[in-house]
Parts: sequence; structure tokens; C-alpha cells
Amino acid sequence: MAQAGEQHGDAMWINMGPQHPMTHGLWNLRVRVDGETVVEALPEIGYLHRGVEKIAEVREFHKVVVLTDRLCYVSSITWSHAYCLAVEELMGITDKIPARGRYLRVVSNELQRVASHLMWLAAYGPDIGLLTGLLWALRERELFLDLIQALTGQRMNQNYPRVGGVRNDIPATFPRDCEKVVRHFFKKLEEYESLFERNKTFRMRTEGVGVLSKEDAMAWGVTGPNLRASGVDYDLRKLDPYDAYAELKFEPAVARGGDTLARYLVRIEEMRTSCALVLEALKKIPAGPYRVKAPRRAEGQAFRRTEDARGEALFYVCGDGSDRPYRVKIRSPIFCTMSAVPTIMRGNKVADVISIMGSLDVCVGEMDK
Amino acid sequence: MVDVDLVLFLVLSSVEVGAAYLVIASRRLVHSVFWLFVTLITIGGIYILLRSEFVGLIQLVVYAGAVPVLFLFGIMLTRRKIMEEPHEAK
Amino acid sequence: MSGHLIDLHYYVESVLSFLLGFGRDQLHGIGTASPAPLGGPLYGLGDLLGAEWLLVLLTWLLVVTVMVMWGTAVNLLVMMWIERKFYSRLHDRVGIKIGLPSMGFLATIPLLGGLFKNFVKRPSHLGTGFLQNVADGVKLVQKENLTPKSADAFTFHVAPVLIATSSLLVFAAIPFSEGFAVMRQVDLAGNSTNPLGILFILAAFGLAPIGILIAGWSSNNKYTLIGGMRSAAMLMSYEIPIILCIIAVVILTGSLDPFEIVRQQTVSLGEAVPALSLLPPTSSAPLYIPNWFIFPQIIGFIVFFVAILAEQERIPFDLPEAEAELVEGWLTEYSGMRFGLVFGFKWLRALAGSSLLVILYLGGWTGPAIGTGLSIGQVGVFFPPQELWFMLKVYGVFLVWVWISWTFPRIRIDQILHIGWKKLIPLSLVTILLAIAMRGLGVYA
Repeated sequence: MAQAGEQHGDAMWINMGPQHPMTHGLWNLRVRVDGETVVEALPEIGYLHRGVEKIAEVREFHKVVVLTDRLCYVSSITWSHAYCLAVEELMGITDKIPARGRYLRVVSNELQRVASHLMWLAAYGPDIGLLTGLLWALRERELFLDLIQALTGQRMNQNYPRVGGVRNDIPATFPRDCEKVVRHFFKKLEEYESLFERNKTFRMRTEGVGVLSKEDAMAWGVTGPNLRASGVDYDLRKLDPYDAYAELKFEPAVARGGDTLARYLVRIEEMRTSCALVLEALKKIPAGPYRVKAPRRAEGQAFRRTEDARGEALFYVCGDGSDRPYRVKIRSPIFCTMSAVPTIMRGNKVADVISIMGSLDVCVGEMDK
Repeated sequence: MVDVDLVLFLVLSSVEVGAAYLVIASRRLVHSVFWLFVTLITIGGIYILLRSEFVGLIQLVVYAGAVPVLFLFGIMLTRRKIMEEPHEAK
Repeated sequence: MSGHLIDLHYYVESVLSFLLGFGRDQLHGIGTASPAPLGGPLYGLGDLLGAEWLLVLLTWLLVVTVMVMWGTAVNLLVMMWIERKFYSRLHDRVGIKIGLPSMGFLATIPLLGGLFKNFVKRPSHLGTGFLQNVADGVKLVQKENLTPKSADAFTFHVAPVLIATSSLLVFAAIPFSEGFAVMRQVDLAGNSTNPLGILFILAAFGLAPIGILIAGWSSNNKYTLIGGMRSAAMLMSYEIPIILCIIAVVILTGSLDPFEIVRQQTVSLGEAVPALSLLPPTSSAPLYIPNWFIFPQIIGFIVFFVAILAEQERIPFDLPEAEAELVEGWLTEYSGMRFGLVFGFKWLRALAGSSLLVILYLGGWTGPAIGTGLSIGQVGVFFPPQELWFMLKVYGVFLVWVWISWTFPRIRIDQILHIGWKKLIPLSLVTILLAIAMRGLGVYA
């Protein structure tokens, strides 16, 4: 809900948040408005700070996975996976991870990425007034949550990646189920196209709105789909491959323009890519163990970055020889995108602020840690 | 038995004169505009009473429908302290 | 051609005159039979009941009541139900399901309770959903009517009344068939006529923005004020294409009378357009295409369709009252039944707009019908009667509007005004030119 703001001269400061009518999480955006145009935007974050980095210092290495799951609760597996990779680097067991475990991580990551993007779409539709988008996206997300539940036993906050591999193997019917779901989903994606892309009103609301130029995006440290929508071909799964990504063929989705429409198109294309990756990984998956026993204690420091659903997630882990981390530092992509928000918002109309915020796919859990 | 025309005319015109008085006597500008709206509608009613329905309806469309809205826009777009009005005098 | 089933004034007047006459006779009887001090006044009361003016007054009151009941108690609920069920199906879900099976307490009714025995222990969400809106209304009635402390009490309470009144006022002039109308005279040839009906409807539509503006201002909330101003700006900008399109239709028909407009749409297209008779005849029995004004006025139809959609503040034009936007809607501070009234009358305005569209462009209540041999009063009964055709067309148009509403995102306010002023007004001027040309050049009779 918007609250009354103060007046400075001709321009007015308006608070958008911390309670939003649309569920983008808990953060405040103060915009300075001159007439209808946004002159300045100042995000205020930290409302959801839970002290994850601090709590991680008092829990064993292996038990921090439960915490990192809940960093971005919409995209849990990718965050825990990033943490596990960093700890494996710290312990020096990166080459010992069995191939099956690496492929399973790819499968679970990509399924989670699709679920996360669908959640974004379900939240974005009502932002611009398209309430039908909410229900359609959530309907498809249910299918992927069912797959994730069959794989990990839980729909959200699954506690699936482990330091050294994954928690369990796939069920017997899993490849067939994935194929069925993906086939159905691709048909539905065409329906989404007609509801969103080919919808004249949607294009009116998103074309040319919230432009983030290539130089600005790179200067501010924006990563992920937001960066690729500005025309920069930067996907960590290709540039710095981890797990089995080096052995899989895919093309990162890049769009030009940097406006809201480009960000939308990039995520839709990424959903297609992820589904193809899941099927390919399930075909190529080798037999064997899926987890190796990792040591309890670790010493040293290591970092690892991965391509999360929202950008570059980096974990920097320090160990001091005990079985608990000395320090876990989390680099969240949305935290860095927040610094680019004033640049994106300036010059747009007030009514577009919500549309732009929605298109950036803000997940407050990972931003505030 | 009862001259309905006269009764109706008296009712309408008393409402109209009262509303016209309130236009100039109201403490708040928006109330004045509201009473102007009432005045214009009752004038339209008097036209209809005088068997000129066309003029009465045109009065409603043009005057009662558009003029008070224009006044309100004029008030709201020019006065900065519009929202403190309920607390202070006009 | 179809005939109307309900002649509102005639039915109401005959029922009332019967009742009043019965009362008068009884009172006369009691009056003459009573002892002296009581007899005179009772006889006088009977005279009062038989008076002409009482009959006329009560007839008018009851006619207006029936029309308001028809608009609100019946059509409001039906249209809300249609909308909620239809958009639920667009969302791939079932939708509201509270109906008679939800009312397990009905089994306690003395006589008919046996019919509802099954509903006591079974789950309640098995009905068609028709009673959900009634339940929502009851919920709103029992909520507390909050008034913000610093709101302007007088205008805060008056604004919903203004909005409700202007929404209901339209129904005085909208005919639902040849007999089912409040404002209706019968001319010498026996046809219904209402010489200035369309103008009245326009006047009633035009009274809406001021209520919204006052509602937005009186809540003492900067954002409802902006929302109210945007809403009024949008409504006033879109009134212009509406009026211009109506002018085009009036040019074609030469009359402001909704009955006359519908009557002129019953002739065959071949008669209305003399030029068509130059074509060689295709068969011995030519196809009867009714002269609906959508054919010569297709641009006007599209412009009017979009403009009325904006006038009703439906998505895609509902930025002034959108929940998710920066500026909250103009009815934020209203709660309880005040909110319910204003919110529910949105569907009443949908009914009014849709009826206007059907009358002007889609042939109103005309449609093929089979005559039954029966007759009520002097009018023959046809199946399907005119009321049924009218409601079918109205609901059909409404369904298309619901479809559009739930498929498109919201348009931004500056884009809305851009469409209204820069696209719809020139197009409506073009249709006026076309109408004048058609009439003037004799292409259209």
C-alpha cells in the first residue's frame, strides 16, 4: 500500500512498500515523482534480513544446506547447490563428485529454474493487470512442483543438494514423467505467447519501458536474465561451467533492447532451454553412485559462483579447521541489481514502476539474506 | 383539486434557491461545487416541468454533467493544500 | 417478428386498479354499514382509494420499483454470476459453487424441507454458484461502515448515493422490449414511443463522473484524489466518442427514440439500401437480413464497443481503480455496504451499456419468433418473446466484454487518454461523415 509522502518543492516522494499489494516480498522503494515522471528512486531493503550468514557460522557445514534453501524460497535448489559447490571447493573434493550426482544436480537445478520463472510470471501478470496469467502460470508450476516432489520428496525448500552430491536418486518413472510434463508445457508455452507476447496491450505496457542499457547493466553488476535482456551474452553455465553443464549443449537466451519486454522474452526462452536441458541430462545420465562422503572438517577459503535463476550467485566460504564454517559470504544477484534500480527507473512514468519492478524478478529472501 | 404543477414548481424552486444559497455560503469549495450540481439539476427539472423536455435533458447533459466536473478539476489542479481543507477554514 | 410478453404499465395498472377498486368497494361497504361517527371517514377513505391520482402515483412508483428490482435483484446477480463463472473457466478452474446445496438449514423448513435433506451432511460446494453473490452482499452488509476521521463526512456519505443514483437513473429510459420500459408512451398507431429516450440515457451516463470525483476527494487521501481525477478524466474523454457514435446512428434513423431505432432495424437490408435492389435476384425467396445498424456503421460499432468498455471502467481500462497500482483506487476508503453498492453497480452500468449497444447496433429485441395462438390483453404471445431476445443479446455482448477484460492487461492512463482522444474521436467523426453521406447520397434510405 502506498502511504502519504512528504513534499519537496515540486516533486513528491512516494513510498511503495514495504507492504506491496502484489507479492514481491518485503522491501521499500521510494520514488521521487515530478508530475507523472519518476525523477529518482531509492530502494530500501533489509526488512527480511534473517541473519543467514551469521547462523551459518554456528551450524555444521552439511547442515547449512537447510538455511541456504530458504534464502530464495522460490528457487531453493539452486542456492543450496551453489553453497555445496563452494564447500566442495573448500574441502577439495570437487573432482571426486560422481558423474551421476553432477547430472542429477543439473536436472534438479533446471527444474527449479523453470518453477522459479513460472512463479515470476504468475506474479508479473497481475502486476500489469493480467490476472489470467497468475492462474495459468501457477497451473503449470504445479506440474513442475510435482516433478520436484517426485525427485526430492518436497515441493519447496527441499533440502536436496548435499556436500558431495545429492540426497537421493531419481525414481524409476522419472524420465518418462519429465518427458510428459515437458511436452505438455511446450504446448502451453504457445498459449502463453498468445496471452502475453502477441497481446497488443501487453506490448504497449512493456515495450520501451524500463530500459537498462548494456553499459549500465555491466557497470552496475547486473547479472542473469536482466543482463542477458540488455544484450550481453553472459551465462555462467557456459562461461564457467560447473557440474555437468560442460557436457550439455544449449544456448543461453539473449535479447536486445533491455526493456521489460526483453526481460520477459529472455525468461520464456530460458524456460524452454531448461526443459531441453532436463531431458538431455536425463538421457545422458550415467549409472553409478550419486554422492560421495565429504569430510566433516575443512580449512581454508574457497568460492564458487553459479547461474541462479536470477543471476550470479556466489558463495565465499572460509573454514578454520572445525566442522562449522568460519564465514559464509553470499553474493546475491538481486542485491546488486538493486543498485541499478535508480538508473532503470529514472524517466519512466509512475504507473510503470510496478511493471518494471515485477520484470526484474526481485526475490527479497536472497536480497536481504 | 390540487395544482400539481404549482406544488412541483414550489418544491423544485425552493430546492434550487436553497442550493444556490449554499453554493455561495459553503465553507468548502468542493461543497459549493456539489450544491452547484444540485442547482443545475433542479433547473433541468423545472425545464421538464415546463414541458420542454429537450432543453431540460440538454441542461442535464451539458451543465449538470460537465460543468461541475470542470470546476472540480479547476479547483483540484490549482490549489496545493487541498487535503488540509477539512481541518481548516476555507 | 417477435412480440413482447410484458407490458409493464398495463400489468401494473390493471393489478393496482383491481386491488384499489376492491379496497374501495370494501371500504364503501364497511363505511355505509358502520355507525355514524365512523362511517363517514371510512367512506371517504374508500373514495381516496378510488381516486385517479392515487392510481397514477402508485402505478408509477410500482413500475419504477419493478424496473429497479429487475435491474438489481435479477440482472445484477445474473451478470455477476456469468462473469465469475466465465473468467474462472478462462483460468482453467471451476469458479464459485455456493448454491442451494450450501444451505443445509433449508431442511428445517416445515413442508419443503424434505427436498433438501441431502444437503445437510454433504459438502456445501456443489451448487451452481448463484448464491455466492448474495452471500457476498450479506457479508458486506454486516461489515462496519467506517468513515475516516478526517474525511469530509458530508460528501463522503453523499458520493456513493450520487454514483448509485446515476447508475440507476439510466434504467428509466432503457426499454427491455416494446412493453417493458418505464418511460414509454403509445402513439396513435399503437407503437411504443419515447421521443427523447436516447438523450435521457446520455444525460444519465454523463452524471457519473462527478460522483466519482467527489468520492475520491472526500476520503482525505492523496491517492484516492488522484485516482478519482484520473477516473473522471477517463470517463469524460470517452463520453465524447459515445455521443458522437450515437449521433451517427441518430442521423441514420432521424429519431432519438429507442423504440423507433429498434423498429427501423426490423426492415430487410434490401429495402433499406435501394442500391442493393440493382443486384440481380439470387433466388425467388430472397434472404432476409435485418437492417441492424452494425452493417452500415461497423466503424461506429467498434468505436462504441471500446468506448463503452472504458466508460464502465473494466480492465483493460481500470487503472483508476486498480488494486496493484501505485495510486489506490478512488473507492479505497469505503467499506461495508457503501463499498458494495458502488462496486456492485459496476455491473449495473455494464447492463446499461450493453443494452445501449444492443439497441443501437444489434437490433434490440427483434428476432425471429413463432407466434402462438395465445394473447395477453391485446398483444399476441410469441416465442421467443422480445424480452428473451434482448437479454440473450445483452448477455452475449457482456460475455464478450468479460472475455476481453480477462485477457488483456491494464492500459496506462496516458495510453488510455491517447486512445480516446487521438484514435476514437477521429474514427467516430468518420462514422458521422459516413452516416451523413449514406443518408445524403441516397445509398441508405
